[in-house]
This record gives sequence, C-alpha cells and structure tokens, in this order.
Amino acid sequence: MITAIAIGIAFGWFLERAGLGNARKLAGQFYLTDLTVFKVMFSAIVTAMLGAFWLSRLGVLDLAAVYVPETYLLPQLAGGLLFGAGFVVAGLCPGTSCVAAATGRGDGALVMLGMFAGVLVTGLAFAPLAAFYESSAQGSLTFPQLLRVPYGVVVFGVVAIALSMFAAAERWERRAQ
Amino acid sequence: MRRALAAIAATGGVLALLAGSPYPLDVQRLAKAVAREDDHVTAVELAAWIRGRKPGLRIIDLRTPAEFKDYHLPRAENVAIDALTSTPFRSDETIVLVSGAGGHAAQGWVFLQALGHRNVFFLRGGQDEWLEAMKQQPEIGRYFGGVRRRDGC
Repeated sequence: MITAIAIGIAFGWFLERAGLGNARKLAGQFYLTDLTVFKVMFSAIVTAMLGAFWLSRLGVLDLAAVYVPETYLLPQLAGGLLFGAGFVVAGLCPGTSCVAAATGRGDGALVMLGMFAGVLVTGLAFAPLAAFYESSAQGSLTFPQLLRVPYGVVVFGVVAIALSMFAAAERWERRAQ
Repeated sequence: MRRALAAIAATGGVLALLAGSPYPLDVQRLAKAVAREDDHVTAVELAAWIRGRKPGLRIIDLRTPAEFKDYHLPRAENVAIDALTSTPFRSDETIVLVSGAGGHAAQGWVFLQALGHRNVFFLRGGQDEWLEAMKQQPEIGRYFGGVRRRDGC
C-alpha cells in the first residue's frame, strides 16, 4: 500500500512536471499542435517495457507473476470510445484530472467529480450491463502471443516505432509552430 | 540529454533481440520441444544408448527405493522426485528420467528445464513401456538379460 501511494505521488508529480495538468496542453494533442501527451505516454510505455524486460531477464522481477488484465473485446472497444469522447470534451483524462485538481484547477475537480459520478452510476446499473461487460472474453493477451514472435522482437519493434515516432513528432511540432 | 536517453532505449531494444525470453521458464520453447517430441526417448532408443555406451548418459529413476530395488534399468540411479532439483548435473551429461508410467518423469523434465538443463529427456511410457519393449523385441531383451533384472544390475 505504501509503495502504491509512493508510486502514485511520483506519477502525479511527473505528469504535472510534464505539463499534463493543463487541459489546453492536452487539447493540443487532439489539434496536433502539441504532441506532449503522446511523447510522455510513449516514453512511459518504453521505459516500463524495457525495465520489465531487463529486470526479468536479470532475475530481479518475475514477469510471470505480473498481472496482465484480461481482454474483453466489445466492452473495451465501447469503453475506449466513451473514454476518448470524455477526454476530448473535458480536455483531461482520469490521471491528469487528479493532477489538475491537486494543483487547484477547477476544471480538474469537476472532471474528477464527473468521473466518480460515472463510476457510481455504472455500479448501480451494473446488473443489466453485466452480460455485455463479460462478453467477447479473450483471456490475457500479450503481443508476443498475438504476433507469435519472441518477446525480444516485440521489445525491439516497440522501441524502434517509439524512436521513429518521437523524431517525427518533433519535426511535426516545429512545422506547426 | 534526449539523445542519450534515445541511445539507451535503442541499445536496450537491440539487445532484447539477442537476450532470449524474459520468463525464467520459456513455456513456448518447451511447448515446441513437446510438439517435436524432443522431450522424450522411447525404450528402444534408450536401449540403443545404453548398448552404445553413450558418453555422459545418466539414467535417473524417480520411483521409490523399494520399486528401484525390485527392478531397475541398467546404469540407473535412484533419486526421489523432490530431490531431483538439488541433484547436481553437468552440462555435458545426457539425463534420462524414468518413472513407473512416465508421469513423474515428464514432470521432472519440466523441473530440470526450468533449472536450465537442456539435454534432458524422459522415458516415454516409463518402466512399464521399457518392460513391454523388452518382451516385444527379444534381441534387445536378451541383451539386457531377457528377464527382469534384480539388485545390482
């Protein structure tokens, strides 16, 4: 619990330092004028992936013990669309809304309020949604399983895509300014 | 700074290609070995290895001491299955695991693979199939005595 709180505080601090507590900055992602969200999130993915891979390879981390959330194709597709629509309308996602609220921004507090209201409504209306919620179950999927390639190939591929995209994002931002 | 981080990420990504599986037990490799039937030997194949005095061959019998005393394969050593993972093996040895019907030997194969031993096999069908093969193939059976071997063979 203490570790989780420490990681949560560190995550929030880094999000704030990256400027992601500001809805205008996040909205820039959707207008393709500011790609900070993409760069920060993809950096986090690459860092976590390389860390998990190499710590496991060196025997520090048991990758088999890391929980991989299960995939439910249709409900997660619907949830992703709803999440995206909410992100565009609010200019904040759940994590960044907490950061925005913690730094005293009113829009962040309102998004958090809306988020918890949504959680409450979903909980109350869960019974009729349960069948859909558990539909199209695919089990715990990982890219090495899906693509039928060794783990190292996926790691290399994601790093290559990330570095190429970072370079392209920098060029795009310079042109947009 | 950004170039240095990009270089670290690129190095980690390229080396990942060569690093092998991050899982201590690469189940995909094991599954392929099972599909190729590289995980076991038949009684006839093992008999040929014993007759040919295959260098570094170690036959590990995982049955109880009483069962081992009653009958065991030539050159076999008796090791309890819960002592298997602490039994020292050299990397140049070929290990063949034997149990009554092959179940414990197949499980032992997974244990030794998890410990990094690659030259490990189990006797398919275990001791039962061995005895059946000796009956079915008299020329091999005669080489190994033609009847059940007891004590000190």
